[in-house]
Amino acid sequence: MDFKAKRPQKEIKYEELRIYTDEELHNYSEEELKDFKIKHDIPMLEELEKGPWPSFVTDAKREALRRKKLPKERMMIDPDVVDDLLGQLELSFVDGETHWKHGGIVGVFGYGGGVIGRYSDVPEKYPSVAHFHTLRVNQPASKFYRTDYLRALADLWEFRGSGIFNMHGSTGDIILLGTTTEQLEPLFYDLTHELDQDLGGSGSNLRTPSCCIGKARCEFACIDTQDLCYELTTHYQDELHRPAFPYKFKIKIDGCANGCVASIARSDMSLIGTWRDEIRIDQEAVRAYINGEIEPNGGAHSGRDWGKFDIQKEVIDLCPTGCMTMEDGKLVINDQECNRCMHCINVMPRALRPGVDSGVSILFGAKAPILEGAQLAVLTVPFMKAEPPYDNIKELLEKVWDWWIEEGKNRERLGELIQRKGLPRFLEVIGVPAAPQMVKMPRTNPYIFWKEEDVPGGWKRDIKDYRLRHKR
Amino acid sequence: MMEEIKQAILEFAETSKKSKFYFKDLEKAVQAKIPDAKMRDIKKAATELVNEEKLIYFSTGSTTMYGLKGRGITEDQ
Repeated sequence: MDFKAKRPQKEIKYEELRIYTDEELHNYSEEELKDFKIKHDIPMLEELEKGPWPSFVTDAKREALRRKKLPKERMMIDPDVVDDLLGQLELSFVDGETHWKHGGIVGVFGYGGGVIGRYSDVPEKYPSVAHFHTLRVNQPASKFYRTDYLRALADLWEFRGSGIFNMHGSTGDIILLGTTTEQLEPLFYDLTHELDQDLGGSGSNLRTPSCCIGKARCEFACIDTQDLCYELTTHYQDELHRPAFPYKFKIKIDGCANGCVASIARSDMSLIGTWRDEIRIDQEAVRAYINGEIEPNGGAHSGRDWGKFDIQKEVIDLCPTGCMTMEDGKLVINDQECNRCMHCINVMPRALRPGVDSGVSILFGAKAPILEGAQLAVLTVPFMKAEPPYDNIKELLEKVWDWWIEEGKNRERLGELIQRKGLPRFLEVIGVPAAPQMVKMPRTNPYIFWKEEDVPGGWKRDIKDYRLRHKR
Repeated sequence: MMEEIKQAILEFAETSKKSKFYFKDLEKAVQAKIPDAKMRDIKKAATELVNEEKLIYFSTGSTTMYGLKGRGITEDQ
């Protein structure tokens, strides 16, 4: 599907927005870097540079050296900001506690999210990081970038901030680490007016929705994840920028059950592409896999000789629901039993493809281990069509929000509210009937408390009589 | 109606025990005075007050609170 922008798009000449030339930025040699010492002693941090892995300490030193050699008048915040950042971190390692104060009043005009106040509690020692605010920048769907855009953004951040980026935060945003309060409004202006780039979500609001690479490059994608992500981002701008939720709310969209953005574990509302017809089978291609004419797994495990491909051992026996068999040389799938583990499709992508009647499974309530333990999302809607303008998905989401805003305690995630009130209550609120797919083992764990009106004919129960035989 | 809600928000913001409060507390305080005030209207009123620079957002990054400009911590800490 072609991209349709929600508002007129202006052509941006990113090269014209550059602040530095490449030569100005490539202003040190590797030799210089070896001999370079930042202005504080950081022996504990330097331990992190040892070993085989790339180190953020080395990256930060590079940036510190670059800033030392850039003309001072061409940076709006202190050139020593990276030195002081490392210095304060070393102190935190020594003390075993953070030296950032908790929270603050920082924002840009009209926005309640996107800027996170960070203040040092030892500003006299590390004056350049007395203010070191974070900005979240709304990433494009699937994180496709043009290099000239990234250069323009990096230049802007070198000019108005510390030059330190984090690509990407857990929510998906581009994270700009460290600037002063004075630079926030000019930076926001440049981002929005010059780069046509919005801030993302932070605080008690809708966090920047994120999605996998989707139909842009992936043959498994059952839905246009980018379109849905863009639609939800633009439709819920007020929820994204002006916080009034009990706590954070994350939406992530996976195109299929391979779950490349791990929405099932990381989002309050997880949308996962699926199908409700049958897996498409190309029997000739199945035979070609069996005969070794096509490499399994798209050749992903070809670095070592694993022997001849054995469809029985490598696919059929590994099916978690045992719904596959070979009959008369043909692969047969009992699609009713398929639980979308994706293994067979991943192993034989030329032979097996997801069905064509596609939509999303919707799960709610995943979260990381703050307050209560980590939890995965619970399958709530086994199948829903996902087609523009996605009114069915929005309607469901708004019902969930209404309930959570009404019933949720301060700092209570949706998943915690569902646990506190019970899944049956949640289903009642959103008007979805209970289904076996919502339960891990429906035959051994009924999970749902039946109400009398749910059961044809109801039942009679004399509680007094029961108590005669069963003490409390 | 909107003006009434804004007034109720400001009264709460001036007199609440803590200088920073959750949206939910704001909502409860407004609904105690104006029982039929809807959440979305309260949010709109709060947004207007932020735009008028009477209220401020206070964010830790994970949680956002509201406060009255000039009360409690308002400048860089």
